Amino acid sequence: MMQFEFSAITRSLPELWIGVQYTLALVFISLAGGIVLGLLACMGRLLGRGLLAWTCVTYIVTFRAIPEMVLMFWIYYCAPLLGGVRPSSIIAALAAMSLTAGALLAEVFRGGIGGVPRGQAEAARSLGLSEFWVWRSVILPQAFRIMIPALLGVTALMVKASGIASTVGVTELVYQASVTAGQSYRYLELFTAVGLFYFGILFPMSMVAKFYERKLALRAR
Amino acid sequence: MGSTFAETETAVAPPRKKTSALQRLKQSFDIGSVLLIAVIAIGGYNLIQWSRVSTLDFGIIVDYGPALAKAAGMTLSVTAVALTFGLLIGVGLAVFLELPIGPFRYLIIAHIEIWRNTPLIVQLFWVHFGMPALTGISTTAIQSGVIALTLQSSAYLADIASGGIRAVPQGQWDAIKALALPGRTGWLQVILPQALKIMIPPLGNLAVSFLNGSALLGLLSVGELMTVATRISNFTSKPVEVMSTVALLYLVINLFISYLTNLLERFAGHRYDAV
Repeated sequence: MMQFEFSAITRSLPELWIGVQYTLALVFISLAGGIVLGLLACMGRLLGRGLLAWTCVTYIVTFRAIPEMVLMFWIYYCAPLLGGVRPSSIIAALAAMSLTAGALLAEVFRGGIGGVPRGQAEAARSLGLSEFWVWRSVILPQAFRIMIPALLGVTALMVKASGIASTVGVTELVYQASVTAGQSYRYLELFTAVGLFYFGILFPMSMVAKFYERKLALRAR
Repeated sequence: MGSTFAETETAVAPPRKKTSALQRLKQSFDIGSVLLIAVIAIGGYNLIQWSRVSTLDFGIIVDYGPALAKAAGMTLSVTAVALTFGLLIGVGLAVFLELPIGPFRYLIIAHIEIWRNTPLIVQLFWVHFGMPALTGISTTAIQSGVIALTLQSSAYLADIASGGIRAVPQGQWDAIKALALPGRTGWLQVILPQALKIMIPPLGNLAVSFLNGSALLGLLSVGELMTVATRISNFTSKPVEVMSTVALLYLVINLFISYLTNLLERFAGHRYDAV
């Protein structure tokens, strides 16, 4: 049995810090891309029928059902067919993560908007509010409150998915940890530290999500 | 009279329009979406490098079809094994959480939260490379993969199962007490069958996400779909064809799982109503 050597972690802190920066960048940028794609897909799906709605549904169903890792490799290899240039690994990872986040978020947005009781919009319209203000001050604020737990869930999923970007060679946390661990063969120490880092981000997030879920359930009663 | 009421109701209902398939198709092609699709199509046509597309050779998929099919089977069985063990452990943990076990419940909660709130890829590396240093037992790639998947699925399933157990109506618990059923009978024949039915939709989602997660086992060269795909694409240097096919395979398998879940939900729900 090996000794648990804390110095193995402290020694590689500079490398791990680079990884943390890349991880956070991946999560935030892919979420931003996902929100744009998700809003578009959600609006398309809310049309109900027509070619556009059908395209959006196909997008949502497809990108929720393909593994992140396959998608990253696929974009990495297939993008040259579309633009003629091979994307860098981080662009491929970001594209894959944004596309998945967009598909997940579209359903979250739709669930939030669908969760607002129909009577709210009807009441606002019968009070003579214009369609813009019906959405701006009646539907969307309530929908956002309903969406909070699911939004946190998608963010957590993206944090977890960012680790997969190491498979295409993005120097994020998991990649940095496995490279440094490969040099010193201190996998246990480094991956415990990395696991704790992710836990430190994800656990508070899931607690907040649970708190909001309980609050919403109480309100619904 | 009851019949007059029924008559007025039918009279109010608007007559149903019969639309032919052609009409429905025409309705779905509204101008906005046609324009958008046209823009996408023209842009795509100019962006696509046709000289490269023409060199694609999907014939190799036929050559490597059996290998890919076998690997897909491997993916399915690894996921199925992990989910089955995960379900057993998870339901067990959820039942223990409802029993008076004192401080042990915090251990169970810690297990659930730790394995739920870390990425699978970290768990995989931790189990495969880290655990041998801790326990002295080294596991093969496939064992580590199944262990990591099982542990994570057990945590998710424990969470889902305790939700399912709590969703069983209070009257059922009261009935167990009123009939003085022994604990084991109460759990196995009253609570758990109902809880399992409630668990079906989240179980289906979990199956899809673990099938996707199992692609990560490719990192340890377990021999499932992703491993074989990278091997074939390296060997033939035709990654585009192989990766497209593999993505399609995952898509089809996942859609099939969702379809099965829907069927199962309807079937179980029907039975539930009949009881």
